[in-house]
Amino acid sequence: MNWLLNYLLKIKPNFDEGQKLSWLYPLYEATETILFSTDAKTKSAPHIRDSIDIKRVMILVVVTLIPCYVFGAMNVGYQNALSFGLERTWIENLIFGAKTIIPIIVVTFIAGAFWEILFAIVRKHEISEGFLVTCALIPLTMPPSIPLWQLFIATSFGIVIGKEIFGGVGMNIFNPALTARCFIFFSYPSKISGDMVWLVGPDGYSGATALSVPASTKSGDAVSLLEGITQFDYSWMNLASGWIPGSIGETNKFIIFLAAVVLMLMKLISWRVILGGVSGLFAMSYIGTLIAPFSDNSMLSIPPHYHLVMGSFAFGLTFMATEPVTGSHTDTGRLIYGFLIGALTVIIRSINPAYPEGVMLAILLMNAFASLIDYFVVKVNISKRMARYA
Amino acid sequence: MSHIKIKKGHDIKISGLPEANIALAPAASVLALLPSDFKGVKPKLMVKIGDNVKIGSPIFFDKLNPDVKWASPGSGVIKDIKYGPRRVIEKIEIELDKSQESIDFKSHSMDDISNLSKSEVLEAILEANLFPHFRQRPFNTIPDHKIVPRDIFISGLNTAPLAVDLEIAMNDELENFQAGINAIGKLTDGNVYLTNKVNSRLSNIKNVKINTIEGPHPSGNVSIQVHHISHLKPAEFIWTINPQDVVMLGKFFTNGIYDPSKIISVAGPCVKDPTHLRIKTGYPLEPLLKANLLSDDVRMISGDVLTGRECSLNDYISFYDSSVSVISNEIKREFIGMLNPGSSFSRYSLTPVFFSLSKMLFPFTSSQNGNHRSVVPINSWERVLPMDILPNELYRSIIAEDVEEMESLGLFECDDEDFALCSFACPSKTDVSGVIRRGLDILQAEV
Repeated sequence: MNWLLNYLLKIKPNFDEGQKLSWLYPLYEATETILFSTDAKTKSAPHIRDSIDIKRVMILVVVTLIPCYVFGAMNVGYQNALSFGLERTWIENLIFGAKTIIPIIVVTFIAGAFWEILFAIVRKHEISEGFLVTCALIPLTMPPSIPLWQLFIATSFGIVIGKEIFGGVGMNIFNPALTARCFIFFSYPSKISGDMVWLVGPDGYSGATALSVPASTKSGDAVSLLEGITQFDYSWMNLASGWIPGSIGETNKFIIFLAAVVLMLMKLISWRVILGGVSGLFAMSYIGTLIAPFSDNSMLSIPPHYHLVMGSFAFGLTFMATEPVTGSHTDTGRLIYGFLIGALTVIIRSINPAYPEGVMLAILLMNAFASLIDYFVVKVNISKRMARYA
Repeated sequence: MSHIKIKKGHDIKISGLPEANIALAPAASVLALLPSDFKGVKPKLMVKIGDNVKIGSPIFFDKLNPDVKWASPGSGVIKDIKYGPRRVIEKIEIELDKSQESIDFKSHSMDDISNLSKSEVLEAILEANLFPHFRQRPFNTIPDHKIVPRDIFISGLNTAPLAVDLEIAMNDELENFQAGINAIGKLTDGNVYLTNKVNSRLSNIKNVKINTIEGPHPSGNVSIQVHHISHLKPAEFIWTINPQDVVMLGKFFTNGIYDPSKIISVAGPCVKDPTHLRIKTGYPLEPLLKANLLSDDVRMISGDVLTGRECSLNDYISFYDSSVSVISNEIKREFIGMLNPGSSFSRYSLTPVFFSLSKMLFPFTSSQNGNHRSVVPINSWERVLPMDILPNELYRSIIAEDVEEMESLGLFECDDEDFALCSFACPSKTDVSGVIRRGLDILQAEV
């Protein structure tokens, strides 16, 4: 590949300061450092550096998302076949699904790259690889039936309002991928609010999502209500293994669990957020089951282990809540932050009549409160130190 | 005596470890003092070009504290005084003569030393121009000799990569070390703390409080030890001194002369014969490295690879440094390197994101291994900082220049060298130690 490197280095002077193409330097720089590892040398002590860089961090998160994409494509095909009453092999399902989701991915990346490059050029900074993760996450949180123009607007909103206006990756307050989803959620609720299933099927085909089943029935037992649904298989095992209608990437909880374990082993995401999130979800839903006999709200009767596999909680917790920049920055803070996300998810699911799904709002809300949590953790650290000084 | 166990941190497994023997150093004809080695000092020369000096003659003093002077490490003629921009004195070169005469001071027996008073010890050290060997915390600068330190801390182990093995360097010097300890013990009303590794040769030293420490770098750093033994509070000062300088003071008090020699390590992936050497303070790099390099394109560092200063071949070893490290400047550019699974030969990371066992010694280069980005806090700093300090918040308070906040987050207890591993491990390639230094400078200007 030396010829390519030589070619890149040969054209590099065209992008130098004062040259005609200098405004395109961020694009050149990104191309060069994506194709070839950087030649940057340390300028001051420490003279040696760890091999990890942000490119590696981001690309690994993208790699762990690939299984979600593959399963997502198969499930899109499977749900389509189910709705038409067709018999198809898994490979046919995969091909059908791929045809549906590839345009979604392409549109997302075009929108994301456009804004990222534009901001890099205008603000004269290097193109940050964080947009790769954002753009890889957005399609997975979308229903397969999403109109592409809505997706383009949502991605633009997520990247620009969620990230770039704060100064880019590392400065943002809200998770950009969730900001994009939130935008669609409130702007085009008919497509995405979560009370009706999303799938690529015949016109007028509809059904209730697992979460909207207990939400729409008073004074029932959630588990038996779910088992009473014949249109889809809403047993615990099937909810976990993901052969249900839903957003593209969030249905298979086993794949997500595996990705979470891999990311935790690589120390790229904090186990504290995951532990906090799952404990929060279990604690709050357990409290819910205690209240359930005294209430006509059937959502309260959803047992904790069902909450874990229903909706996009697992996906949101693994890939969105653990995002290091928008979450808490202290270890103690991360436990609290995760716990509150889990607890809030259950509260929004159970008590809010408008939205059967709560994880997206829970994470965005906690994004806003993450610094407040850190503030108190820091205060405790300071008062401990002051006690030592005294 | 207590035992401290450090869990956070990391011993960087860099190749080119120094051999466990002390080799003969090639002869040098010139030694130099570099006033830039001393933070916060305004040097005023006491010699001019052509002057004759003996070992121990004062070369310059600090305008801000005229009692503090620097001794010549050799006898001979002042060969050259080099100035940098704005007439900052960069170096004072001393061409050595054959005689190597020393200025004679009063010598003492062991008993005499024990009977000296605080002011006698301090005056003797100041008179012999040896006071700059002490440094204080906070700020890691030369202390104000008029302030009596709360305690004196000595770290009996070096944990920095490729550092001098003090067990080797101190082997024949235990008596002189004891004499030095007895003398400097007079300078404080508190304790002299010596922190060793377990089963150290230094564990039989008297008149000190000995603690043992185990764990990875930076467990050998004084601030880490102070943090775990006895916290440094605001408005308190402690002094610290290198063990080899204690030996030097011991020799000074018993023999009455300044012996500027010390053991250093010359090591690193690009050194032909990495070993320990006995040299004099202010030694030139050229005789040590000229015929001792494995490659032409190298970075020479006075000090260790984490905190040292980049040098050229005609440079000199810094005053406080006891190692010279050499790494390669040649950087291999890999095609789509970010997707490379990695191996023990190609990658070295504290975050397990590559397939590498990291048991092997790794030939580090001066590659930054990535471009600078905004901080993405994945705890890479916290994992290598064995102090009860929140590095991320401290970093932010310094960037925001919030003096009160940095003070309350414990900046007083830190030195930039303690954060060098944070810079090393950071995926965003943030200069954490540089920011900590800036914070310390801001804080020092305030108090």
